[in-house]
Amino acid sequence: MKPKSIAFLLSLIVVVMVQQAEVAGQDLQQMLEDQMETSTGYVTATFKATRILNGHSIERMPEGQLDFRISHRFGRINGGAYEFFGLDQANIHLSLEYGVMDWLMVGLGRGTFEKTVDGFVKISPLRQSAGKNSFPVSISWMSGAYINGLRWSDPELEYHFKHRMEYAHQLMIARKFGPRFSLQLTPSYLHRNLVETAADPNDLFAIGAGSRLKITSRISLNAEYFYVFTPDPSTLSQPIYDPLSFGVDIETGGHVFQLIFTNSVGMRENGFLGQTTGQWLEGDIHFGFNISRVFQLKKQ
Amino acid sequence: MKSKKLAIPWMMMLAIYTLPGCVWQNEEELFPEAGICDTTSVTFSNDIVPILANNCYGCHSNLNAPSFGGGLSFEDHEDVAGYSDRIIGAINHNEGFLPMPQGGSKLDPCSINLIEVWAGSGAPDN
Repeated sequence: MKPKSIAFLLSLIVVVMVQQAEVAGQDLQQMLEDQMETSTGYVTATFKATRILNGHSIERMPEGQLDFRISHRFGRINGGAYEFFGLDQANIHLSLEYGVMDWLMVGLGRGTFEKTVDGFVKISPLRQSAGKNSFPVSISWMSGAYINGLRWSDPELEYHFKHRMEYAHQLMIARKFGPRFSLQLTPSYLHRNLVETAADPNDLFAIGAGSRLKITSRISLNAEYFYVFTPDPSTLSQPIYDPLSFGVDIETGGHVFQLIFTNSVGMRENGFLGQTTGQWLEGDIHFGFNISRVFQLKKQ
Repeated sequence: MKSKKLAIPWMMMLAIYTLPGCVWQNEEELFPEAGICDTTSVTFSNDIVPILANNCYGCHSNLNAPSFGGGLSFEDHEDVAGYSDRIIGAINHNEGFLPMPQGGSKLDPCSINLIEVWAGSGAPDN
């Protein structure tokens, strides 16, 4: 065969291969589009943990997984060097939280703050998704109950167990905007069976906003704020301020560390919505952390 | 199997919503008699010690003070009397004082009033 013929044959082969590749590429594109139309892809890891910082995120434990959470909030940073900038005082909250189903988790805990025992149920009926059944946001609902375990200040008065109870309900609506940024809105309701004075509201409403900005695959920056609708703070037996928190999530295989700066010492809804007495501008800032350790109790 | 699995969360939900019930009450109206704070004959043993025992000895007892109470024990009269200014600043959550009780809400106004009256009368050991 002449060299010219060989060159022509090779050129023909190349042209045919390119054409085939183009056709294959179009087929692949078509297949992907077809698949997107016939299946649904759910968005995962809107937040790294079941808490943004103090408050719940839309995330829940997957079925069969137990989350052992240890949370600390230290004293106020403006306590100065003598109080080791608050580290001499520690409030702790321990909890066990379990994923019963992929959309349902329950939790029980005990904290130093007012010696509170708490329990909650969280359901996640809708998840952000793309494809056939696309949905723009993830939605969760949390209902919690809190039992104040402190001794009564005057045991001679006729207190009942119901006077120890507080309840919180939260609707969580979150969206993950791309791989790095997530935002959540959290309308909240807190009911307190017994308050100190007639001027203190038994019912408190709040709207929360929380966000996550992913920096690396293991580190993200979080912020969380709740606007609490309260009457004039000067009329209350104790002024309530809006809880504002900033923090960093660090994931280290099976553990999630959350380092937190917040003006609230309470780590549950009754504490940070109803009893935040610190002010950022006054330096009433508490350093703290949440540690989450997940155990797989059920074989996948 | 599925219904068994869901039994615990449903029971928790039911307990959260129903067991203790919701009431809308405040101590001011529920216990009007408690609003009358008798400060006419305040004594250390009858009035101050019970307040300290209920609210402070978790950290400020002889046993716990070295670990949790910053070394301050309030079981003995002379210690309480010596620190009465700091105690009053702390329980009133005044600026420059560590708010006490730590991890709890402020003491009721009558308890604060009793401690202030006792300290104001020279913090006697009576």
